Amino acid sequence: MAIYTRGGFALPETSLASKTGTWRLQRPIHRHSSAPCHTACPAGEDPQAYLAQVAEGRWREAWETLVAANPLPAITGRVCDHPCESGCNRGQYDEAIAIHNVERFLGDQAIREGWAYPVTPPSVNAHRVAVVGAGPAGLSAAYHLCRLGYQVTLLDMLPEAGGTLRTALPPYRLPREVLAQETQRLLAIGIEFLAHHALGRDVSLDELCADYGAVFLAPGRQQGREWSVDGRVPADLHTGLRLLQEWVAVGTIPKVKSAAIVGGGNSAVDLARVLRKTGAEVHVITHDALPKLGVPPEGAMKAIPREVKQAQEEGVMFHEHRGIQRLLLRGERVVGVEMVHMKKLPRPDGSIGIVPFEGTETVLHVEQIIPAIGQVVLAAGMERILEGSPFFAVDLWGHVANHPGVFAGGDARKGSRGTVSGAVGDGRRAALAIDGYLKGVATVEHHTEAIPLESLNLNYFEHEPRAEEPLLAVEQRSGDAEVAGGLVEPQVMAESLRCFSCGMCLACDNCWTLCPDQSVLKIKELASDGSHYVFDYDYCKGCGLCARECPSGYIVMEDELLFAGRY
Amino acid sequence: MSDLAGTLIPIVDLRRNQPRFRGLEAGHLACLGCGQALAARLVTEAAGPDVVVANATGCLEVFTTAWPQSAWRVPWLHSLFENAAAVASGMEAALKAQGKSAKVLAFGGDGGTFDIGFQALSGMLERGHNVLYVCFDNEAYMNTGVQRSSSTPHAAMTTTSPPGKARMGKRHLKKDIISIIAAHNIPYAATASVAYPSDIRKKVRRALEIDGPAFINIHSPCPLGWGHDGSLSIEVARLAVECGLFPVVELERGALTGTMPLRAPRPVTDYLKPQQRFAHLFQNDPRAREELEHLQALADYNIETYGLRGERPDPLDSAGADTVRRGGVRWA
Amino acid sequence: MLQALEGSQAIAQAVALCRPQVVAAYPITPQTHIVEGLARLIADGKLQCELVSVESEFSAASVALGAVAAGSRVYTASASQGILLMSEVLYNIAGLRVPLVMTCANRAVSAPLSIWNDQQDSMAVRDAGWIQLYCADNQEAVDTTVQAYRIAERTELPVMVCVDGFTLTHTLEPLEIPPQDQVDAFLPPFRFARALDPSYPVSSGTLVSPEYYTEARHAHHQALLRAKDEIVAADSDWAVLTGRASGGLLQVDGPDDARVAILTLGSVFGTLLDAREEYPQLGPVKLIKLRAFRPFPVEALQQVCVGLSDVIVLERALSPGSGGIAGAEVRAALAELPAAPRVHNFAAGLGGRDVPLDIYPRLLAATQSASPVRFAILDVELDKLPVEDR
Repeated sequence: MAIYTRGGFALPETSLASKTGTWRLQRPIHRHSSAPCHTACPAGEDPQAYLAQVAEGRWREAWETLVAANPLPAITGRVCDHPCESGCNRGQYDEAIAIHNVERFLGDQAIREGWAYPVTPPSVNAHRVAVVGAGPAGLSAAYHLCRLGYQVTLLDMLPEAGGTLRTALPPYRLPREVLAQETQRLLAIGIEFLAHHALGRDVSLDELCADYGAVFLAPGRQQGREWSVDGRVPADLHTGLRLLQEWVAVGTIPKVKSAAIVGGGNSAVDLARVLRKTGAEVHVITHDALPKLGVPPEGAMKAIPREVKQAQEEGVMFHEHRGIQRLLLRGERVVGVEMVHMKKLPRPDGSIGIVPFEGTETVLHVEQIIPAIGQVVLAAGMERILEGSPFFAVDLWGHVANHPGVFAGGDARKGSRGTVSGAVGDGRRAALAIDGYLKGVATVEHHTEAIPLESLNLNYFEHEPRAEEPLLAVEQRSGDAEVAGGLVEPQVMAESLRCFSCGMCLACDNCWTLCPDQSVLKIKELASDGSHYVFDYDYCKGCGLCARECPSGYIVMEDELLFAGRY
Repeated sequence: MSDLAGTLIPIVDLRRNQPRFRGLEAGHLACLGCGQALAARLVTEAAGPDVVVANATGCLEVFTTAWPQSAWRVPWLHSLFENAAAVASGMEAALKAQGKSAKVLAFGGDGGTFDIGFQALSGMLERGHNVLYVCFDNEAYMNTGVQRSSSTPHAAMTTTSPPGKARMGKRHLKKDIISIIAAHNIPYAATASVAYPSDIRKKVRRALEIDGPAFINIHSPCPLGWGHDGSLSIEVARLAVECGLFPVVELERGALTGTMPLRAPRPVTDYLKPQQRFAHLFQNDPRAREELEHLQALADYNIETYGLRGERPDPLDSAGADTVRRGGVRWA
Repeated sequence: MLQALEGSQAIAQAVALCRPQVVAAYPITPQTHIVEGLARLIADGKLQCELVSVESEFSAASVALGAVAAGSRVYTASASQGILLMSEVLYNIAGLRVPLVMTCANRAVSAPLSIWNDQQDSMAVRDAGWIQLYCADNQEAVDTTVQAYRIAERTELPVMVCVDGFTLTHTLEPLEIPPQDQVDAFLPPFRFARALDPSYPVSSGTLVSPEYYTEARHAHHQALLRAKDEIVAADSDWAVLTGRASGGLLQVDGPDDARVAILTLGSVFGTLLDAREEYPQLGPVKLIKLRAFRPFPVEALQQVCVGLSDVIVLERALSPGSGGIAGAEVRAALAELPAAPRVHNFAAGLGGRDVPLDIYPRLLAATQSASPVRFAILDVELDKLPVEDR
């Protein structure tokens, strides 16, 4: 029983005896929702997480977070088509975060600083897994298997690791120095790399299946597709990939006055730029639309938009929504093509078809026509798995049906968009699936919806322009010099601070500042992992102000009944 | 113990070790989402421990000090409804006579400031007491059950200005308190909004640096009296600023020395619509439309009078002043 | 050393000797001269003090409250309308148990407007929870002011020193102003236990629920009852120091064998002393000066009234519709005696009406009446009133 004080005074903070938390009908909780950059990333990166660490100046931890999903950030930071940035909520507000530049910066910094991958070398008794193909999918799988404690043997028919990255990506996009350093550093974590090992020639799939606990096949697409126009093929036909590989390998390319490249992927654009550097007049003909605002990704060229833009700057001419209806031949030699306006449209049955519009035909005079319409898997050594199909039919985890212990992914997978990040993701998921297979447990997918812009509170963000990396002037774009210059540290820091931190604590102090009941407490000076604040449910009345004003949608209100008995 | 986020620090210790001054603690009995509770917390936090507070009668006094409990951690005295400024004057005179440096704060609601305590406040300002008077303006007598005050906006519904067949809510304009205060030629008078904590903090510190009387009127939504969800208190306060109905300004010696510019003024309906006290203005009634136009005209008048329209984006304008960043605001 | 001083100036000097740190006041006749006197002392550098010249009596009391709460010794003064305007704060000061001293320069209350003396103002706030001490002359006003600070600070109750307006405040009398060292020896520096202090931040003026409000009121009542000892002690200690006493709770003057007593408050006591000398033929009469009206000294009064046949209460206020104020309380107190004297109650001297010496025989005439005079206002000239209002 309280004893009345003279004049009725009360002692400080004695109100803490009133547990106003009993008033609450709803309670705020911290709920980490996936950022759209994360759900959009085929490699499985969570850019929000490492941007937060960058913002705190924890560079190495940021890189470690990054390589927990993707061991090739210096590479993907350069060559990825960064769907993360297309997904970025900030893109709907002003401009997306330059995530690929942050990724590239971290990758380069790790190389510069010699940061070791956070991997413990596998024990000698560990299960052995074979990985065929040292492209991005194979490297990723080998890396993730190593992280999971497996002994990995990585086979490739070429003398060096890298796959398509090495054979078909122009050095002005991916300097060979970067490729070499990142792949060497990666292999150094304890992966056994067997160069000059071609499947079907030096080792058979059956032998691998016998000697290893599991096999991951990532051979890429090495076989050019058949191409003709109404059954007609020019005499001097070269596929785009072949020409590109040749140019990458020996540095020369047959000189022509003018060429039309058919296709809208990165190979088409890469080749167009290479040809353009020789002084040729270069046209790219594609069914799809040029990437621009308002064009959905499925209707746009598959090539990376910034590459298309750079190609245009360099003088490559693009013909969107065009197909080739007829080859103009003088004998076997091409003198031009007849193009027609085409568009992907739904047919009456609901399927999508490409419809040419009569009366829109135009003629383009070119000396050479180069198809760059993609490749298929070279079946050698894997015939019994492919069974005549051009690609591996696998599930999300790379399981090859009816072949337990055999997994496949990367470009060789049916439905692959042919991106490096997709391949890295395939490798990562296959590694998890192999781990599950060898342990006899099913691999489960943690599917999460990205948090939409509407769940954020945009009042708290100021418009700030995105940091733009310097590009080589068009007249300086010759040879192998890298075109995109990347960002410098202050710019990377500025980008990280632009991040909305969608679905994750921004450590901005808003809840701590705005709680009318002093019921949000800070537990450490700064934390990017969502542990910066706690709710004091003894006093929180559940007004919901913190949830409403949380800029990043990390606080949500839950019905108190859900917690009955747990408090 | 807090079992959240893996911390093993007893939550009581955590509370004690917050990196800011805790002037107003938890366990007070304010309604959910109370703007005044938040504003008072922000003010005492910014003012720091070396203060003495005189508090007028009102919600703030009632919900913080239900004997034998008190939520305050600053020396605090409630005397009466209309004398906070006079009591603060006496405190200041006493501290001065004793050669002590503590700063005196006076807290009142709009009733205690605009109305019943106005004379005492005017006297305090005129005599030049070194006191910071803070008015938590929630635009009606909330403690007694939402009766109109001279701060209640035109056309708002209160229990003593109900809308009906003959009337559309309050028939008089909100008293222009800040101009009246500034007319005392005091060194510092300002308005602020609970939606902009860093602005409040800055103004409190500025006011405390000054030797002489200072006044801050803080717009503080009352979810119960205004008829909006408690979670919307900040949102509603922000809209009041952004539409121009509550201009955020600073006046020194009567001269306008600072404003929070509006980057893109919002229509007043954005502010009025979420509040039940303006619900009668959204009926299909020509009188309602007229009142809406009137309120818009009042907002436009404020924007014009104080020159609130920002010419270019400004980090301290209505859209920039509440910007957050990772790492939050560094509290001194 | 005797000096001839106007009452207000003497009170101002007494206040100054108590070393107040804050003085807050608002002008009102007849209190004004006191504060003017203090202002002059401050202006002359003879008193180190914050003088807060407020915009109303309401604020004067509020400033005083705030200043004590912040730990300073405080003085204020008022009268009449000022006391009534203050009344809300007066209750608040007492309930907060904030010790301070004020002078009430007693004056009639409007309407009709009157600036002249009676005691209706202080009587109107008799239930505010203050100690009220009434002074019979200016020497008492000086001595009581000093004593009041000691009483207030020891009991944590406010003290109102009531001094008849004009009759005392504006009257020149020879009197003794005590030396500073005497006052300092009597009155230690003020230390308020609950002073607002950032190092021990208590909250005062809280909301108290019905479960405790009754106890709060009981405690306040007890504090006033216990204050009687402090009032007596202060007066006797002061007498030891100075040789002057003011009567403690009450003072009796007259022969032991007197069977009749006249009781009054304030300066009328002096008039009655003179009148008794003027009319020795009217027999032995005791004169009782009620110094402490709050707390009301029931026991002390009963003690001095044992054996009396008649007690005549003369006061300068009334409760319209009821009658006398002090008279009713005296009658109630004496009713407890086994052989209770008859109590006659008169009001006189309202709104500055002169109280002449011949009031004495007229008062004593009451003892001849068959039944006690319950209440009457003396000197009412009914022909000055319209017939229907007589």
